Amino acid sequence: MKIIMALAFLLAMTPLVPARSAYLIVVGHPGEDDYKVRFQGWAQQIENALADSPEKPQVKTVGATTGGATLAELETAINEAAKTAGADDIFVLILIGHGTFDGTDYKFNLKGPDIRSAQLAVMLDRIQSTRQLVVNTTAASGGAMPALVKPHRVVIAATRTGTQKNATVFARYFADAFSDASADTDKNETITALEAYVYAARRTKEYYDQEKRIVTEQSVLNDIGSGVGVRDPGANNGQGLLAASFPMLRLGSTAAAAANPEKAALLKRKELLEQQIDRLKYQKESLPPLDYRRQMNALLLTLAQTQAQIDQ
Amino acid sequence: MRSSIRTAAFLLLGAMALVAADSRTCWTERKLGKATEADACFAELTRSNSALDRAEGLWGQGAFEAANVSFREALTRDPSSLEARVRWGRLFLERSNPREAQQLFQEVLKVDEKHAGALLGMALVSAEGFSSKAEELAGQAAAADPSLLEAQELLARLALERNRLDEARAIGRKAVAMKPGEALDAMAVLAAADWLEDKPVSEWESNALKINPKYGEFYGIAARIFILHRRYKEAIALYEKALKLDPENWRDRSELGVNLMRLGKDAEAKQNLEAAYNAGFRDAATVNTLRLIDSYSRFDLIRKGNTVLRLSKKESELLRIYVQAELDRAIAAFDKKYRMKLSEPFQLELYPDHEDFAVRTMGLPGLGALGVAFGDTVAMDSPSARPPGEFHWASTMWHELSHVYVLKLTDHKVPRWFTEGISVHEETQVSKEWGDRLDPPILKAVREKTLLPVAELDKGFQQPESPSQVLVSYFQAGRIVDYIVETWGWEKVLSMIADFKKMRPTAEVVQAELGMPAAEFDKKFQAWLNAQTGKMANDFGEWEKKMPGLVKAAQAKDWPTVLADGPAVRDLYPEYVGKMSAYELLANAYAGSKQPEKAIDELWRYARKGGRDPGVLKRLASMLAEANREKEAADVLARLNYIYPLDTGLHEKLGGLYAKLGDKRGAITEFRALVAMKPGDLAGAHLQLAKAYRANHQLKEATDQVYLALEVAPGYKEAQKVLLELTAANP
Repeated sequence: MKIIMALAFLLAMTPLVPARSAYLIVVGHPGEDDYKVRFQGWAQQIENALADSPEKPQVKTVGATTGGATLAELETAINEAAKTAGADDIFVLILIGHGTFDGTDYKFNLKGPDIRSAQLAVMLDRIQSTRQLVVNTTAASGGAMPALVKPHRVVIAATRTGTQKNATVFARYFADAFSDASADTDKNETITALEAYVYAARRTKEYYDQEKRIVTEQSVLNDIGSGVGVRDPGANNGQGLLAASFPMLRLGSTAAAAANPEKAALLKRKELLEQQIDRLKYQKESLPPLDYRRQMNALLLTLAQTQAQIDQ
Repeated sequence: MRSSIRTAAFLLLGAMALVAADSRTCWTERKLGKATEADACFAELTRSNSALDRAEGLWGQGAFEAANVSFREALTRDPSSLEARVRWGRLFLERSNPREAQQLFQEVLKVDEKHAGALLGMALVSAEGFSSKAEELAGQAAAADPSLLEAQELLARLALERNRLDEARAIGRKAVAMKPGEALDAMAVLAAADWLEDKPVSEWESNALKINPKYGEFYGIAARIFILHRRYKEAIALYEKALKLDPENWRDRSELGVNLMRLGKDAEAKQNLEAAYNAGFRDAATVNTLRLIDSYSRFDLIRKGNTVLRLSKKESELLRIYVQAELDRAIAAFDKKYRMKLSEPFQLELYPDHEDFAVRTMGLPGLGALGVAFGDTVAMDSPSARPPGEFHWASTMWHELSHVYVLKLTDHKVPRWFTEGISVHEETQVSKEWGDRLDPPILKAVREKTLLPVAELDKGFQQPESPSQVLVSYFQAGRIVDYIVETWGWEKVLSMIADFKKMRPTAEVVQAELGMPAAEFDKKFQAWLNAQTGKMANDFGEWEKKMPGLVKAAQAKDWPTVLADGPAVRDLYPEYVGKMSAYELLANAYAGSKQPEKAIDELWRYARKGGRDPGVLKRLASMLAEANREKEAADVLARLNYIYPLDTGLHEKLGGLYAKLGDKRGAITEFRALVAMKPGDLAGAHLQLAKAYRANHQLKEATDQVYLALEVAPGYKEAQKVLLELTAANP
């Protein structure tokens, strides 16, 4: 997880929680009853986790209980978000359902007419939020990637291409990321878009490994605004920077200390220690293992002591 | 190249009126070691007007592709030629393409069902595939043409492969009598029969080498027979002799490589396989085995004492925890039980890709087995090679390790049925839940009384009439050993092992050790078995009728019906713990009827009957934990470490339960496993391991782990707290 390490520095500089967060969960046409139950369950799981978070973001779900959203319902919901979300707010769209790809264009299956990826992109452009996350969990969702990528937007697709057409399980594990604290790999009490993506991708891979099934979905992420999505965002492909600083779910109060002027020096010290730790991690390969370990342990101990003072 | 060409095919030509005598002469000269004459003869054939003769000539020169083209031309010119088809089929067979060969032989048999050459070809194809039909077909070929030497030689070889030494000798002598100056392969079989009985010198060796001092294949034939008797070291020595006489016999060199691999001599194996490959011998076994050797860079070798584990790097950190502990336990138990210690290093290899295991075993993918023992090496599937719940790796490991002891104690002379029987017996000695359940083919065999007599039980392994007969034979052999142990005690098994080392036949050993003729033993065993499984075997049909109704009721959540009918259906076939078992359906019904304790009881029955579905066992563990029966929950989850340990949730839950129950060592093991799996929450895993070490007063290890947790997540407050506590306690 080099990318996460590299971004700790960035995270320290970036306010973790913008003014407001707005979530739109759209459940498409399920086709079969079995899928209806599953889609509804995943949407509900995400909704519940967001409702339980201290941040209490604005959440709207369409189509979960009605056998799938219609095009009009989807457009109305996006237009509402466009009216209310400001430029500093974050906007998250999660698509749950089935998708198709005809070799040229992707369609998200709705009750009635489906929506093409290009249509969806136009609608999303109406939203002022400069930081957007689009999570498309359907089959063939990789086919929508070219239309949806845009600067400052994180796009996650359950499949690498439009030709991966089998029903996906990615949504199930993406929903789990909202309620499984282990998704917070850096233990900073915030699950970022990158952490949720990595969690869901890993669990999806485990599913196929354990079931001994041929892998029919390989999720990808793009947050550089152009090109294709990548399976493993990281320093080697330049992807993942924005996603790593995109807070999806806050698990605790990390900002309380920042409000106390008496703790300012300690916070500054903590920040410096974290930067030193990050730098040391980058030097790991070039240092003798014992030196690295000695230096790292010293920094980690000092950081723990500093944190204890902050928490007093 | 030339000398590597198999020469055994030529005798067939005696059966063919239309093939030029020259071709037969060429092959005979080749076989008798007259290299110059044979080369000239084949060269002359290549200049013939006959496409068939040219094909033979080119084949004799090792120009296989050109020979193939000429055979095609021969058939184009004369589409009705049976001889061209048979000879072309033999070329395909020699070039490791039995499917094409079989097709050509079958085409001939459609026209002439008694064509000796085609029947022999089919027998050879069957023999390569270890089919029980090989002997029948070779017999038909011999009957169709009583002068066909190669058919007699094949019959002798097959009899010896199946451990019928007297019969092999009789047929072999008959073949030698037919053509005393040519029957080199029959002499090889006769010599192999002597060597199998540990006779240091065989007259047949000198007889054959007098005819052709360079006939390396003489030893190659014997080597292959020794391999089928699992006497690998002696087989390797024979291959080495073969190659000394004929260094360019690439088939033998490749087979030597494959068998050196079996004994863990990878470097020598690679050298021989590469030599064969570079010389153009690229059959599937050679290529696959070389690929596998290359893949060993992705494996770890873990040495401890007299043991070596070969584990895939991607899972070795986890598996070594459980596999090493279980191997140590099994070796300690077997050292005592078999009263011997493994003198040479023992290597256990686990393959996460079943096809790699198959290549390791046979050189070819597609093997149905789970594990194989070769002397001091055991290769088996890793638990990750099969879907969770399908495979009990520890049971397989004990099974294979038992072979290692029995093979050593008998110098590999034990009959197959007895060593398999002991191994199957050993599977259930650690726990009755291990081992295989009674499957429908076994119940059918018990019901229909189609079990083989003990004296012929080897046939069930070596010449099975159907794939299910192998399964049934494993079961039968295992139960026979159970019966012997139960009735006469383990000492009697050890005495039988000693008898088999002397190559005494099964009937004789049964009489000597158990004091009755084999037929009487069969009757007594059958009665014993019937008392245990007869009812279930008879009830199976009823279970088959009633089970669909129970499943239907469960799917409709008709719990009263499931609760009313379920117990009776379950008890008709209590060994059934597969998908949608009656145990599971009943548990669902009890849970759905708000009777959680009864649901737990039902799932416990499932576990104790050997149910292995991780989902079902985890469900039972959760229900037990919810009912504050944490010790039992831990016991249930611990079973999964022997089934599918590649599960982070399992180790996290079990580690937590052990920690709560005060089982400090258990908690450490489970959290070590969790860390080894590098879960998504790696920092959390390190911290849990740190806490487990701290609880066990291993403060240094605890501190190391907490630092590792913080390295992953420097701001991890809980880990910071533990670190400060540890450093305060141990500044």
